[in-house]
Parts: sequence; structure tokens; C-alpha cells
Amino acid sequence: MGKGLSNRVAIIAMGCTPFREHWDKSADDLLVDAVTECVAGAPKLALDDVEAFWVGTQGSGMSGQTLSKPLGLRGKPVTRVENYCATGSEAFRNAAYAVASGAYDVVMATGVEKLKDSSFSGLTATWPPSDGTDVEWTAPGGFSLLAPAYRERYGLTDREMRDALTHIAFKNHANGALNPKAQFRRAMSKEAIEKSPRIAGMLSVMDCSGVADGAAAAIIVRAEDAHLYTDRPVYLKGMGFVAGPGDGLSTDGYDFTTFPEVVQATAEAYAQADVTNPREQIDLAEVHDCFTPTELVLMEDLGFSERGRGWSDVLKGSFDRDGDVAVNPDGGLKSFGHPVGATGLRMFYECFLQLRGEAGERQVPGARLAVAQNLGGQPGSCVAFTAVVGNEAP
Amino acid sequence: MTVATTKTITAYAVYLPAFALAVNDFGADVRDGSARARSVASHDEDAVTLGVEAGRRLDGALQDVPALLLATSEPPYLDKSSATTVHAALGLPENATAVDLHGLRAGAGALRTAFGMGGLAVLADQRTAPPGAAGELSQGDAAAAFAMSGDSSAPVRLRATASSTVELLDRWRAPGAPHPTVWDERFTANILAESALSAASRALGEAGLERADRVVVACANPRAAAAIRAALGSDRADAELEAAIGHTGAAHLGVLLADAFDRSRPGETVLAVCAADGADAFVFETGEGVETANRGPKVREQLGGRTYLPYDRYLRMRGLFVVQGPNRPDPAPPAAPPMARRREWKMALVAARCAECDAVTAPPARACAGCGRLDTQRPESLRDRACTVVSVTEDLLAPGPDGPAVQAVVDVEGGGRRSVHVADPPAGGVKAGDELWPVLRRISSTQGIHNYFWKARPMGTVRHG
Repeated sequence: MGKGLSNRVAIIAMGCTPFREHWDKSADDLLVDAVTECVAGAPKLALDDVEAFWVGTQGSGMSGQTLSKPLGLRGKPVTRVENYCATGSEAFRNAAYAVASGAYDVVMATGVEKLKDSSFSGLTATWPPSDGTDVEWTAPGGFSLLAPAYRERYGLTDREMRDALTHIAFKNHANGALNPKAQFRRAMSKEAIEKSPRIAGMLSVMDCSGVADGAAAAIIVRAEDAHLYTDRPVYLKGMGFVAGPGDGLSTDGYDFTTFPEVVQATAEAYAQADVTNPREQIDLAEVHDCFTPTELVLMEDLGFSERGRGWSDVLKGSFDRDGDVAVNPDGGLKSFGHPVGATGLRMFYECFLQLRGEAGERQVPGARLAVAQNLGGQPGSCVAFTAVVGNEAP
Repeated sequence: MTVATTKTITAYAVYLPAFALAVNDFGADVRDGSARARSVASHDEDAVTLGVEAGRRLDGALQDVPALLLATSEPPYLDKSSATTVHAALGLPENATAVDLHGLRAGAGALRTAFGMGGLAVLADQRTAPPGAAGELSQGDAAAAFAMSGDSSAPVRLRATASSTVELLDRWRAPGAPHPTVWDERFTANILAESALSAASRALGEAGLERADRVVVACANPRAAAAIRAALGSDRADAELEAAIGHTGAAHLGVLLADAFDRSRPGETVLAVCAADGADAFVFETGEGVETANRGPKVREQLGGRTYLPYDRYLRMRGLFVVQGPNRPDPAPPAAPPMARRREWKMALVAARCAECDAVTAPPARACAGCGRLDTQRPESLRDRACTVVSVTEDLLAPGPDGPAVQAVVDVEGGGRRSVHVADPPAGGVKAGDELWPVLRRISSTQGIHNYFWKARPMGTVRHG
């Protein structure tokens, strides 16, 4: 376990484009928009005051020039990172370390994805040449394995399982409907959710997150410097990251009802943040609801529900915006959309707004402590990031 | 290599695919269980995978085989050998040669050559007629495999062979053409029958027989086949089987012969004639052990339990009727160096077992997926092990010619886990706990490269030995 950066760095400004089918914008445009908004949020800083940059993208650019070219950065270090769908949080993580190390005073983490320039359905990726023996799971295919395994393990009826998944989609769409930057800004009836066309296994279109274009950015400084730039900084309280060995798909044992990598990363983040009772202590959580069963399993992996009880807590409304933990109050990947490289930073963006009391209609009253949980890969073989952020100064 | 002087068959096996087609009318009922049908390979089967299924049923009879001959009229490649793919999947020794024979006469050629070398003859074919053609339901897909040796105690002995060759435009297909074209069979039948009877007469003479106890005739020309059967005194058991599977191209002689052996007792004679571009005749004598020489299920047992297809599904599986699916990129073709580096895994499903913690890692890797130790692994074949579904999905975003891809994560009996494509998924679907069996299939074909790997097929529909 790493030594952690608890209370050592703070976010002082963020920007996030609407997540959309941005037919009229390139990845460059989206980055410029997100960075411009971000810098505008820190009036005492100019872009040139930022000493180093990170840009996360899964496939919308190569190298640090993905950011330096559109911004016209001169003489600045820019690092491009990629970590599947956890790419955005990976940009944040590395930027945070750079500030904490003392190498820089002011850094920026950005993430971008331009998915809608492809006419393919769903996400695609380009892999290195191979022997052709790996099953090419589509994202819904891989994640759909969670639902039957969970239902089987905990003895749910088909109806109970369906109800839990439907409620997650219903809740996240209701939240997204209040969010002007969300891709889908319309509440969906449970009936409409269940009538949507099937995609994989139990999953229908309305169990899947939106494929969107978007970018997000954050300025990170040392915690002790944060008040130089803003009255309401958001502090990093804890952060864990795990790249799993993929053993869930390559040897027996894993049962598809949990993400062991998430459990490990979360334990590290909680330990750093002194979170011992997440259901009580955490006010809101932005979690990786790429598909509805993912959010269900995450409620247990994040310690919000006991094992096997996530589904009934979901149905009780425990994770609704006014529930015990407001989960995905911005709409989540489901409704806000999922431009891969931007998503992790978008999660921080909502935490940032909520912890500063700037979330408008969807504000979680009195929010003090939030979780941003981002993952990539697929059940059995994934990378997982969990952070705890709060608005109370160290 | 010594050339065998005594020519015998030590073991044989036939593989009939899971599907059959009895109708070629869109509105018609499938005529489930009809005695008149054609055998249909799944969309991901070809001469290689059919041949591997027949060949692997020979199991223990494959040790020290000096040569493999693959006969087909539908070779997956022209320049590249397909026999080598079968060789690799069967785990044959590196010093065994592997040779491809093409054309309708190739099955007889493979048998003759394998007898000469004491090798393994794999006859595998897929036959397709144009939709609506008169012969659409009278061709079929199948494979047969025969292990030859010089062991005089083997259950089947070759007593004589004879051939005749005639240059004749009977049926033909240029490279790349989807279907054969046929000359007026009233003209060609006479010439083929003459050739066949000439070869049969010489073979019987060499064997010192006037007639054989059983006669099988493989000829794609139905008029000729009927004439030859009548002249040689066939009891038409071969014609009856042919009606249930269709003429299976280069595999047909082998399938009919295997069926004749299936029905034989020790001390009987079998005359087998293949009439194509002339004729080849073989006279066999069965001996002790013929009842167990078939290492797989009997040929006729494989007719039961076939899934009879509606015509539109057959056309889709065959690629004759393409349905638009979601817009997804083509699967990437495999690359030669990684395929060569991981040949054992790709072709023979050899994973790795850790000497320290006993966990099986699949695909094989230097780090054990169980304990994480490096370089503690030894090879472990998963090819002939049942596996149990842990979780499964039907992916409509990844459709194939026969509907959505069914993909599962399975645990292998004795240890190990794989992600698999489910082959020949049953109508009722696949669920956690179901047992599957590894089968080599074409995963995809992109840029002219066929990506072969091991899928898994429901045990209930597998008739392995």
C-alpha cells in the first residue's frame, strides 16, 4: 500500500464540457473548452502559470501533443496517460503526485475522448497484433456477465434482479435530467427502460452508458497553497489504484459478483481518508456505472451495502439523491455519458461542484465527503481507481 | 521411413456436424428427423475443423503417425497447407509430414497414399449448391479419419486396390467460384460407371473375390452412383445413408466406408468404390476388433439428435444470405509471429500448470495466475477436458451469421478458466452450470486469414468418442 497523499493536494478549479454527440467539435476543441472553463475558475491564475500537464485519452490522440498542440503550449511538459476507462482518473492521480513531490506548484490534469467521429456502435479499441485467441468481449458483453452471476449467488428472482437494474437506470436518468451538461437530460420511466432493445445478456440499451464526446480538466496545487487561489478548495483525502493481473479470466476462483481490484483500491483510499463506515461518512459517490449491474456490484465493493444486500438497498432508494449516499447525482456514465478519457475527471468535477455547494438543483445538502470511483477493463480483469475528496481543510 | 507391406486400418472415426437441412423452401416446416436431408456444418466449421473433429476421435491411434493427408474439395487456403493446421490441432509429432489433397477424388487418393505410408487419412468436406439448384439437398458436410498401419493384427485389412483414370468434364469449379457446375449427367454417368466397374472388377480379381459382402459407392453423379450400385450388388445401405447426409464430397468415400465397417462383423469383405475423374476401388477384409475400430460414435448414431434447419437459417449460416447487424469493426486478423510463438496454445489448447501452487493459467503466461510466481509452469493440455459455464452472455452487439455471439467464462475440469465462444448454441440457450466441450472452429476470417481457435460446444450436442 502506498503512503498516500491524504490532505497534501487540493483541486482549486475544474472545467467540463457538456458530454454530447459533438458533431461540430474535435478532441482539440473539447480540450480547449474544458481547459478554458477550468482556468476561468481560478482568476488568479493564467494558463501559463500551470507548470506541467497530464492528458488522458484512450484513443483520441497520441502523446502529450494531444494537449500541447490545441492549447499552443510552449516549453511545458505534457504527459499522455491511458488506463482503459480509468484514464481520466489516472491523469488526475499522476498530476497529484507531481505536485505532492514538490516538483511543481501548479499542475493540470485533463481528459478527453472523441468517440462520435467513428460510425461504429459502442466502444472500439485497436489492439496490438495477437495470436487471435482472446475472446473479443464487447463492453456490454463482458459486463453483462455480472448480472446472472449476482442473481445466482444471492438467489434473486429474475424480477428482483431486473427491478434493481431498472432502478439504477431510472435513478441516474432522473439525476441527469437535472444536469445541463449531461448527455441524456430526460427522466425515463421504468417501463421505457425495460422496453428498450436488448444488447447483451440481461442488458438492454437502457442498461448501458451513453457513448459521448467530452473533455474535463482540473487544476491541482499543494493543499497548503489552495487558499491562495480559492476560498473553497476540494482536498484529496485518499486515493487508491490497482491494475489487476487479470486472474479472474485466466484461472478459476472469481465468481463475477465483485471487482476485487475495486475492493483493494477502495481499502487503500478509505484507510488514507479515515473512512471506516462509508455508508455513514460518505455523502455522495460518483461511481463507474458503465452498465447497471456494475453500479449494483459497486455498492457492495465500496462498502455502502453488505454483500448480497446491494440490490435491496438500491430498491429501497438508499442511493437515490436523497438517500443515505447519493450515488451518481450528476447522472453517472449512464446519463451524463462516457467519453472514456474524460470520465474520471468528470467524476471529480461533480464531487468538486457538490463539495463547493455549486451543484444547483441536484445539490446534496451539506456534502462534506465524496467518493470518485472509476474503473476500466472488464469483470475478472480490470483496473480500478477510488478517491475520497472532501471540503474540510486539513 | 519404412513403407508398410501389410496394409491395415487400426482405427477410424466419422464426424457429422450438428445440423441438417431437409427443405429448401422458405415457408416450409423444417421436417425434423426427415430421412432425406443434407448434413450441414455450422457457419464456423470448414474442412479443417471438420477434419480435426474426426481426427481427434482416433485419440490413442495417433501416436507415431508418420504422415497426415487431408483430402477436401473445399480447402480453406490454396497456397497455404490446411493439413498442417489439422496436424497441429491433433498434436501430431513434428517429424510427421502433412499433405493436402484437393478435389472430389482426393478422399480416395488420401486413403491410397496413407496405406502406402502407414499414415493418417483425414477426409473432410463442405459442399454447397446454388440456392434452389436441383442438387441443393443432395450434398452434405462431413469428415472421416482413418489411421493406417502395417500391423497385421489390426481390425481391417486392405486386400486389393485398383484404379482407372479418365479425363472427363463431369463437374468443375474454378478457384473462388462458390458452386460447382455440372455437365449433363446422362452423358457423364455412363463413362463414370464404366470406369468404376473396371476398377472394381480388377480389385475384386486381385483379392480373389467375385463379389464382396458389402458394397459402398461414392459418386457425386447420382445417375452413375445408382448404376454402379446396381451392377456391383449393393444392398443400398450406402444409398440410404447418402440420402440422410447428402454426397459429402471428398469425405464421402470415407463416411460410407466407416458406416460399412460399423455394420460389419469379423471375416467380412467390403468393396468401396469412389467414382470421380475415373475411379478407385478398394477391397477390405474385416478381422477381430472391427466392432471397436470406430473410436467415435457409429455413423448412423450421429444422425439422431441433429438440429433440422429452416431454409433461411441454413442460407445465413452458409453466407448465402447476409443479414445486416450493428456497425462494428471487422475482427483483427491474427499475426504470424504471435501465432507461431503460441502455437501450442492456439492449435492444441496447451495451457500452463504451476508446479508450486497447481493453478492452471490460460492462456499460458510466465506469471502464474494463481500465485503470481514467475516461470514455475509446465504445459497442461485443456483440449480434451470438459468445462463448466461460470457466467454466459448473448451479445447482440457481436452478431455472427447465425445470430448473436454466445460467449461464456468457463472453468475447466481439473483446473483452469477460459473465455470461450460457444459453438452450436442450443435453441434454449446456455446457462451457468452447463457443461461444454472444446471444439476447434473458425473464430473469424479477415483479410483472407482464417483465425482458428478452440470454442466450446454444449456437451449434450457433442458426440465425441
